Amino acid sequence: MVRFDGVWFRYGRRTDWTLREVEASVEPGDTVVVLGRNGAGKSTLLQLAAGVLRPSRGLIKERPPVVGWVPERFPADQPFTAGDYLHRMAALRGVKAGDWIERLLLTEHTGTRLSDLSKGTAQKVGLAQALIARPGLLILDEPWEGLDSVARTLIPEIVAEVTASGGMVLVSDHRGEIDNLPKAIHWQVSDALVARAPAAPPTGEVIIEVKVRRAEAPQAVARLKAEGHQILDVRDVAAPQPHQASSGPGLTITPGASSGREGGAGS
Amino acid sequence: MSALVRMRLAGFLRGGRILAPAIAVLIVLGVIYGGGASPAAVAYGYSAAALFPVLAWQSKLLLDTEPDGQRRLARVAVGGRREALAGVSAATLLALLVCALAMVAPWLFRGIETDKAVVSGVLLGLLAHVLAVPPAVALGALASRAITRGVRNGIAVLVTAVILVVVLGLQGSFAPWLVPPVMATARALNDATPPPAATLAVLIGWAVLWAVVAFGTYARLRRLRT
Repeated sequence: MVRFDGVWFRYGRRTDWTLREVEASVEPGDTVVVLGRNGAGKSTLLQLAAGVLRPSRGLIKERPPVVGWVPERFPADQPFTAGDYLHRMAALRGVKAGDWIERLLLTEHTGTRLSDLSKGTAQKVGLAQALIARPGLLILDEPWEGLDSVARTLIPEIVAEVTASGGMVLVSDHRGEIDNLPKAIHWQVSDALVARAPAAPPTGEVIIEVKVRRAEAPQAVARLKAEGHQILDVRDVAAPQPHQASSGPGLTITPGASSGREGGAGS
Repeated sequence: MSALVRMRLAGFLRGGRILAPAIAVLIVLGVIYGGGASPAAVAYGYSAAALFPVLAWQSKLLLDTEPDGQRRLARVAVGGRREALAGVSAATLLALLVCALAMVAPWLFRGIETDKAVVSGVLLGLLAHVLAVPPAVALGALASRAITRGVRNGIAVLVTAVILVVVLGLQGSFAPWLVPPVMATARALNDATPPPAATLAVLIGWAVLWAVVAFGTYARLRRLRT
C-alpha cells in the first residue's frame, strides 16, 4: 500500500501550491490512472509517489522498497550505450538486466549510444530500467509517448504483470490510452486537488456491433463514416453466433475485442 | 552504492569532462615544479593549496555530469542518502587520485630537494593534500547543480568560496576559521622546522570540523532541494 497522508507540495516558498491536501491510497494489485490537463500536477504527484520529490507538508507512507519510475522524458544525454546503461542500472539495484532487453525489443540497440537513440527507443530504455528489479510500485509518467504500436501493446501487459504479483501501478495519461487499462482506478488532478474520478471517462459514446451482408459491407462502412461514426473493426463471420439473431454469413462491424463491448465507450 | 560510484566516475571519464580539470592540474604542477627544487614540505604545502580550487572545481564538474533526470532515477534506485553519498564518494576518489599524482609528480621533475628532511616532508605533504580533499569536495558539492540549480549560481558559489578561502586564509585574517585551513597548512609547512604536533592537531581538527559542517549543509540542502 502507498498512502498520501495530507500531502501538500510546491516547488518554492513563494510559488503557488502545485498540490494541496492530498489524501489517497493505493492498495496492492491496484492500477491508478492519473488524469488531468497539462500542468495540472500529474507528474508532480507521480514524482512524490516515487520519492523523487519530498512533500512540502504531510507524508507518503508505506512505499514499497523497490520502486520503478519511468519519467516523462528519459535523460538520454549520457555517455553510455543502451546495453551498458541498463546493466549499470541493474547493478545499482543489485540485480541483472534479465529479459527486459529482449521483451522491449532493445536487443539490436544495446550497442547504440543513448544520445543516438530515437525518442521511442530511449523511452523503452526508460521502461526497462524501471522494470529490471521487479518493482512493488511502478510509476509510469505518460509511458505511451513516442512508443511504436508494438511497444504500446506491451504497457497493459507490463501493468497486468506487476499488479498480478501484488504490485501497484500509477500511470499518468492525457492521450486517452486508458482504454487499454480497463480495471484501473482513476484519479483526477485539477486546481491542485486530487479526486477519485468516475471509472470510465464520460465520452458519451457506445459501441454497437452491426452485422451486414458481405456484398454490402463497403457501402455500409462508407455510409456510417459519412454520418460521422467511427469504424473500429471489420471482421469476417464464418458462421452465425448462437446468441445472435442471424441473417446468414456476413461481415460484422465491431470493435473486435470483448473488452470493447464491456467498456461501453469508444473514441 | 559502489555501482553508482563506478557509474558516475565512468560518465565523467567517458564524457570527456575530466579533460579541463586534468589540464588545470598539469598546469598547476608545472608552475610549482618548473622553477627548480624545494624542500619536500614546502613544495607539497604549496601544491596542496594551489590544487584546492582545482579539486573543488573538478568535484563540481563530476557531480554535474549526470543529467538531473538521471540523478532522480538513481535516487529512486538506491535512495536519497546513498545517491548523495555516492556522488561525494566518487568526487573524493578522484580527488585522492589527483593528490597521488601531485605527490609523485615532483619526483619525476626533480622538484624536491633530497638532502634534508625528505621523509618528514613527504609525510607532511601527504597530510596537507589529504586535509585539502574533504573541504574541496564539500565545496564542489555545495556548488553543484543539485544545490545551486543553475550554471551561473554554481560558478558564483565556487569562485566566491575559493576567493574567500584565499583572502580569509591570509596571515592576520579577522576570521580565518570561516574557511578551511588550506592557507594555514601551507604556511605551517613553509617554515624551516617542521610544525609542532599541537599545530598539526589544530589543523587536522579545523579541517575535519569544517568538512563536517560543509558536508552536513550539503546533506541538508539535498534533502530539501529534491
